[in-house]
Amino acid sequence: MLVFDHVSKCFGDLRAVDDLSFELEAGEVFGLLGPNGAGKTTAINMAVGLLEPDEGVVRFADEAFDRNPRDAENRRSLGLAPQSIALYEQISGADNLRFFGRLHGLRGSDLEERVAACLDFADLVDVGKKVVSKYSGGMQRRLNLAVAIIHDPELVLLDEPTVGVDPQSRNAIFERVEQLRDEGKQVVYTTHYMEEAQRLCDRVAILDRGRLMALDTVPALITAHGGPGNLVVRTGDGESRHETTDPLATLAELQASQTVDHFQYLPPDLETVFLNLTGRALRD
Amino acid sequence: MNKIVAMAAKDIHILFRDKLGFFFTIFFPLMMAIFFGAMFAGLSRGPASIPIALVDADRTAGSARFVGRLEAAGGLAIERIPGDQALEQVRRGQTAVLVTLRPGFGAALDNPFVATPEVEMSVDPTQFAAAGMVRGVLLEAAGAELQAFMSDPSRMSVTNEQNRRLIEEFSPPSEARDDLLNVLDQIPRIPVLIDEAGLGSVTTGATGGFGPPLEIEQTQVQAQRRGPTNSYATSFAQAMLWTLIGGSVSFSMSIAIERSRGTLMRLLVAPITARQLLAAKGLACLGATLFTSSALITLGITVFGVTPTSYPLLALALLSGSICFCGIMMVLSVIGRTEQAAAGVGWGIALPFTMLGGGMVPLFLMPEWMQTLGNISPMKWTLIAYEGAIWRGFTLSEMLLPCAVLVAIGVLAFSIGATRLRWDTG
Repeated sequence: MLVFDHVSKCFGDLRAVDDLSFELEAGEVFGLLGPNGAGKTTAINMAVGLLEPDEGVVRFADEAFDRNPRDAENRRSLGLAPQSIALYEQISGADNLRFFGRLHGLRGSDLEERVAACLDFADLVDVGKKVVSKYSGGMQRRLNLAVAIIHDPELVLLDEPTVGVDPQSRNAIFERVEQLRDEGKQVVYTTHYMEEAQRLCDRVAILDRGRLMALDTVPALITAHGGPGNLVVRTGDGESRHETTDPLATLAELQASQTVDHFQYLPPDLETVFLNLTGRALRD
Repeated sequence: MNKIVAMAAKDIHILFRDKLGFFFTIFFPLMMAIFFGAMFAGLSRGPASIPIALVDADRTAGSARFVGRLEAAGGLAIERIPGDQALEQVRRGQTAVLVTLRPGFGAALDNPFVATPEVEMSVDPTQFAAAGMVRGVLLEAAGAELQAFMSDPSRMSVTNEQNRRLIEEFSPPSEARDDLLNVLDQIPRIPVLIDEAGLGSVTTGATGGFGPPLEIEQTQVQAQRRGPTNSYATSFAQAMLWTLIGGSVSFSMSIAIERSRGTLMRLLVAPITARQLLAAKGLACLGATLFTSSALITLGITVFGVTPTSYPLLALALLSGSICFCGIMMVLSVIGRTEQAAAGVGWGIALPFTMLGGGMVPLFLMPEWMQTLGNISPMKWTLIAYEGAIWRGFTLSEMLLPCAVLVAIGVLAFSIGATRLRWDTG
């Protein structure tokens, strides 16, 4: 449905997105993982037509995406939850949903059904009539997500949806994203949290300084770029760390020469993938 | 269209939920209307003296003496001008009352046994209170004149002698003529007889057995209304202007707010066009300003006694003013890209133009040169249109100019703003 074909975007001398290509597959959660400034939000803005690529084409539903940001037809199929909370705080959560639903052409009972469904999705049924300014940060985040799906789009773009939320609210958002996947939606999920990408995304594109460093499923990325894991052992001489691709063999080898009081295996993850690909830690 | 209405309704909803914005849009102007209305009402209630025009058609020593007595009495600011000019002043509402001392006034004043001095009062029908006060001052002066006459035996003797000669010349001898001459003989003795009877202390100011000391004929002049008949008529016109200013500044901020809060991004990725978005902003501003200004004048009419001279023209003025400020809102939106900038720019531009346009001090109180300079201010044209419908008594043709100027400013400003507005989200 969504295709980036050798897309580049510059802001002055800064090449925010550099020759980015990928194609979403049906019913997957697609992750854009990278540190701040990697080009994730620029990519999202091009995907929804807010920005025009300088080079390449963003295609949508197998047709050339109309770069006019006001083209109505393409927008009916996508929903965006911006990185910052984008809600009208002076009106209620239900009214926010109602308003954006109307903009997407919903009317009457269809609209009310969708409003009810989205309040339920965001677990805000009890506070739907309260003004948004009275909501907690986590509730606003969930409503921010719910507004993106009020018109039941096929493609949902979530731009760092967990920024600034507590662990409990983050888990609630994870559950909503998984629910969207279960409903067959395509989801583009940008994050700089490795754990989120690892938990939620079927495939992950690793971005750094606008360039696509790697793209695959999480296990495949780890296999290809993760390198060896680390076996941490504690003996009478203290704690030591050993790189290994076969932790059991390494442990047996160590036990043959000394008494191991405690051990822990740290497999490679997306953090190590990113480190190996870029030479920098993900959170640098 | 539904989407435009939905967006406009949302903006209006948010405006009225924003307590500060609502205050500046409707309560602040209302407070100004009441404050200035009460202030000007207070000024008009207690003038040091009532301005009247006076025409002395008698031109005798007696009439001059009476005018001198009026001037000395205080309470009246007397302007002595030719009759035609004086009447025109009353018609224009510049003078409340014209007092004319008719021919024979002085003779009657000096001979109250024969005639009563006559005065004509030409009154602006909207100035009945002032006319009543003028009537009182005239009667008081005439009464004082009669008292002075009655207290002066030498004046009465002179008058008696004149009357005796008249009777003897024109009346044939008869019993009645003799009785009348006897009465005349007794008149100079009246003050002495009053004193002898011990009534001196209770007859001061009395006119004895005579009728009213002055005969006043009052006529109404069909006034050409040149000024507000109610001080609130002026202040509510200004207040309505303030609702337009408050509304346009609030809505100019709304685009900046949408940008800073991220909701502009949501709107831009929704299936709506830029034109729909602009139309919604314009419609919301138009609807809100039209509603608030209409609500204010309705309050002025129902509670504060404002009486528009023409309701259809008032509707035209309200619509034209709202269209104008809708355009101004769009230009302000372009200039101020952040909330703070939009507010600062909005009020920074609006206030000087408002001062120049008569939004703080009524136009008719401004010096001529300032009124001319004020032509560059949309606020002035708005006030002219409002006042034209509320108290200036404009005809349709007179109303067309300010309304056309307002609509032209609105369309031009909206076009400039719409073409220069950047729909970026950052």
